[in-house]
Amino acid sequence: MIWFLTIVLPLLAAILSAFLPAGRRGPGLIFAGATLPALWLGLVEVPGVTAQWFLLESHFSLDTPRRIFLLLTGILWATAGLFAGSYLKDDARRGEFSFYFGAAMAGNFGLLISAEVASFYTFFALMTFASYGLVIHSRTPSARRAARIYLVMAIIGELFLITALYLAVQSAGSMLLADIPAALAEAPNGPFIFLLGLIGFGVKVGAIPLYFWLPLAHPAAPAPASAVLSGAMIKAGLVGWMHFAPVGLVEWPSLSLLMVSLGFTAALGAAIYGLTQVDPKTNLAYSSISQMGVMTVLLGIGLYGGIPAGLLLPAIALYAFNHGTAKALLFMGTALPARVGGSWRILMWVGLGLGVLAIAGGPLTGGLWTKYLLKTFLGETSLPGAQTFLLLLTFSAITTTLLLSRFLHLLHRIQAPSGNMAPAFLLPWILLLLAGGWWTMTPALLPTELLNHITGEKGIMAFFLNLLTNWAALWPITIGVLVMAFSLKFATLNWWPTKNPLLPPGDFIHIILLAGDLFAKLFRNGISLLESGMQSLQGPEKIFYRISDNKRTSQISASAETLLRRWEFVGIGFFIFFLTMFLLLR
Amino acid sequence: METTSLLPLLILISSLVPGLLILLLREEQVALRTFLNLFGAVAKVGLIAWVFAGYLRGEEYNFIFRLAPDLTFALRVDQLGLFFASLSSVLWLVTTLYAIGYLEGGQHRRRFFAFFSLCVTASTGIALSGNVITFFVFYEFLTLSTYPLVVHRGTDKAVEAGRTYLWYTIGGGTVLFLGVVGLFVVAGPIYFGQTEIIESLISVSPTQLTILFFLILAGLGVKAAIFPLHGWLPISMVAPAPVSALLHAVAVVKAGAFGIVRLVYDVFGIGIAEQMNFLTPLAVFAAFTILYGSVRALFQDDFKKRLAFSTVSQLSYIGLGIAIPGVLSSTGAIVHLVHQGIMKITMFFAAGNIAETYGYYKISQLNGIGRRMPLTMGAFTIAVFGMIGLPPVAGFISKWYLGLGAVEAGSYWVVLVLLASSALNAAYFLPIVYRAWFCEPEHEAVPRLRSGRLETQALLLIPVVVTGILSLAAGVFAAVAGSPLSIAREIAEKLYLL
Repeated sequence: MIWFLTIVLPLLAAILSAFLPAGRRGPGLIFAGATLPALWLGLVEVPGVTAQWFLLESHFSLDTPRRIFLLLTGILWATAGLFAGSYLKDDARRGEFSFYFGAAMAGNFGLLISAEVASFYTFFALMTFASYGLVIHSRTPSARRAARIYLVMAIIGELFLITALYLAVQSAGSMLLADIPAALAEAPNGPFIFLLGLIGFGVKVGAIPLYFWLPLAHPAAPAPASAVLSGAMIKAGLVGWMHFAPVGLVEWPSLSLLMVSLGFTAALGAAIYGLTQVDPKTNLAYSSISQMGVMTVLLGIGLYGGIPAGLLLPAIALYAFNHGTAKALLFMGTALPARVGGSWRILMWVGLGLGVLAIAGGPLTGGLWTKYLLKTFLGETSLPGAQTFLLLLTFSAITTTLLLSRFLHLLHRIQAPSGNMAPAFLLPWILLLLAGGWWTMTPALLPTELLNHITGEKGIMAFFLNLLTNWAALWPITIGVLVMAFSLKFATLNWWPTKNPLLPPGDFIHIILLAGDLFAKLFRNGISLLESGMQSLQGPEKIFYRISDNKRTSQISASAETLLRRWEFVGIGFFIFFLTMFLLLR
Repeated sequence: METTSLLPLLILISSLVPGLLILLLREEQVALRTFLNLFGAVAKVGLIAWVFAGYLRGEEYNFIFRLAPDLTFALRVDQLGLFFASLSSVLWLVTTLYAIGYLEGGQHRRRFFAFFSLCVTASTGIALSGNVITFFVFYEFLTLSTYPLVVHRGTDKAVEAGRTYLWYTIGGGTVLFLGVVGLFVVAGPIYFGQTEIIESLISVSPTQLTILFFLILAGLGVKAAIFPLHGWLPISMVAPAPVSALLHAVAVVKAGAFGIVRLVYDVFGIGIAEQMNFLTPLAVFAAFTILYGSVRALFQDDFKKRLAFSTVSQLSYIGLGIAIPGVLSSTGAIVHLVHQGIMKITMFFAAGNIAETYGYYKISQLNGIGRRMPLTMGAFTIAVFGMIGLPPVAGFISKWYLGLGAVEAGSYWVVLVLLASSALNAAYFLPIVYRAWFCEPEHEAVPRLRSGRLETQALLLIPVVVTGILSLAAGVFAAVAGSPLSIAREIAEKLYLL
């Protein structure tokens, strides 16, 4: 029952809250209520169920990594729902927003609890298409453009995905997602199928080179929607990858290296490109691409073999949990500086600072712990160049800090309101702050085997308070902050753009669009040429007309008819007819 | 074989007699006409449900009337036929309601409803035909009874379209006639399902049978709108919306597609068709039609024309599915008979509602229509997602089986065709959805042509909502016993076990 409620309640909320009158704070509570079954499933292990009546026979169940994702997703949707309820209280399109919000929520929960292909794909599609309504919400030309690019990319992703699913189901001989990794490991075309899945889900993840819609679409949505887009929905692609990846079953060096190098390119490149932006939300979107790159690396290591899935996948989920909560906190935080005044601002800055630290992997945060997991696996893998990768990882901590301190600086420039004031949506924001990445260290989320593998006998607190590890995490961040501070302080170093981004957001898309325009022009010319050619050609029916409308044809037929109308012909005709009938029926 | 039951005949009579009676009525006897219509429609649905239940219990319903020693008029109930008959009877009921609302106060309604009933008689006849000859008789009956509906409006354009329609269908009928007679001469009378007759003859006269197969296929291809025989379909869109909806989304075009299913599965047999390489040309033509129809649809601004080209494209999914041997793709093809029908009829209803309520015929006029007609456009949007092949709408189920079947058979190019078609479907349908929901209307207050407390007249609204829900339900509850999918799967499994 609870499995169905997980999906049905958000759908009900979508329909219900779309009809709530203006100025009510209801939708927030409705959305928070709708996440309760998901939160419950995230915290408590419940045996799976089979729904024989749904689609092509559905199964719903959870494993450890997906349970972690579900809890993350539940927390984000609950707080974002509460946040949206009051943030969009007076928005003219509040009803529509609620509808798409609820539908996307149902899709996001549904895809996490689905254990079989058809329902997974269904909910994945539901989430993807419902979030189109979130991206286009403001209806500004830039939002429309972002939404269009988002949709095109999403459809391309869906096409790759469905192909991958066809092939995977065919080679697994089963619709269960859990059977796919083993089947891919066995199948001769396994790497090819995985590559298709890599592309299909890569669109959602924002993997290089499919990411360019993301810095346009995520910032276009209202703050709470951006939070779930960048915190929760982006992870759906990662979950998809994990369903396909035969971690610990295969050694695919080339695919592994491909993922690791793409991951690092994203981790460093996106962070650096993001520095050129002036919109805090675009800045964060690039940070998301960068962080997803780190998770791509982590999964890529798994394809090299040697690391069991039971350890690696929960570790990825924990990393995602930390990033998701912090990123959602920052995205919703972009709505605060203009609305929070007086002493509340201290709380706001503390929260934002913690969020930044958590993503950069600062001391005493969940980020420290989850990044340590990554480092451990990087140290264990036999992947060539693992030492270089460790160095790159440290370097990415510096770039991330730069990017996010730049983000804080951008927020800082926003004019504060006068007086001691706090909007109602500060409360859910604080709730999210409390539900932060520290959870990744609690037994509720952390599997014992993983804990034992990483820390041995010492236990988590020994690690967490270890001076050495905290110092190792602190110095890259210090460097990042110092570089940012100096460059802002001294005019000669301060080349930061203030009004317009140095380089356009969505980078790559501009080249694609230019090429696309050229191609479209050619295509259209070709089609119009074809059309004009077709019009001058005659359809087959025109040939008939030429016969039927011809004067001579009609003359002949008219004279033939007068002939036939004469009595003798009729008589003879009847005689022949009856004779034939008689002979036939004899 | 010799047990005779009148039930199949009663199913036909349930629409034939109302049709004929309506012709005898006067134009202004609206109430009686409506009663006859609805009585016939409900009776037909009831009878088919009754027969279906009986069939599942294992009973046989045959009606055989000997015209001549070898020439029999045979109605026989089998699962495939019942499947198609259920589709046309249920949608007939829905469309009758729609047509009553649509034509309210219109001209020549007596003629319209009479021929409408005759059409449905013909299409049920096609579904229940037990042999090739009976099938042919009803097939031609359908051609003729549709003509008055196409030219219903009586405008020059409609008459012109009617003429084109006749040229195509009579031409196709002639070719089909040659094929059917030829088959009779070579193989004698063939009841559907007696594939062993051809099997025993194929080594004796392979050339004749090959020629006959393609003659019959070409004849059926006209109604199934396979390129290059599809030209009549977009032109016939001048007909009133209920006609486009039922006849050009369901009855007429499906008669062709259903005929192809019968030809391949029940006359020649899938084994022979595969062995003789009959299927490759069919697959190629169907695949080309899928892409061609979609590309043509991209450039239509006329709402119904775009839908018509989409029909051309979507119908060939059935042909493509038949052409790939295997249980999965056969399931996909058979289930798409029903799925395409309910989704496309939803779209035509929606187009008709918009045209009747606001007078919009062009896609470029549809900005913001979703706000004004949320239920109509909601149903339309569901159908759009289905056509693209997105779950959980019915179209996904068809495409899933077709795709899996193609992979299973190793025909990867078919998967590429399906993908390209999905992308094209999205490219020509999503702009409509975008305009409807995400664009602001150009004029604030537009006078409504149809009154009613709802977004339009209730009789126009209910059918579109019902078929929209059906399209969704056929996908969501695909695994439930009695769903189109489960029936199609049973039919397909039987085909391959035998």
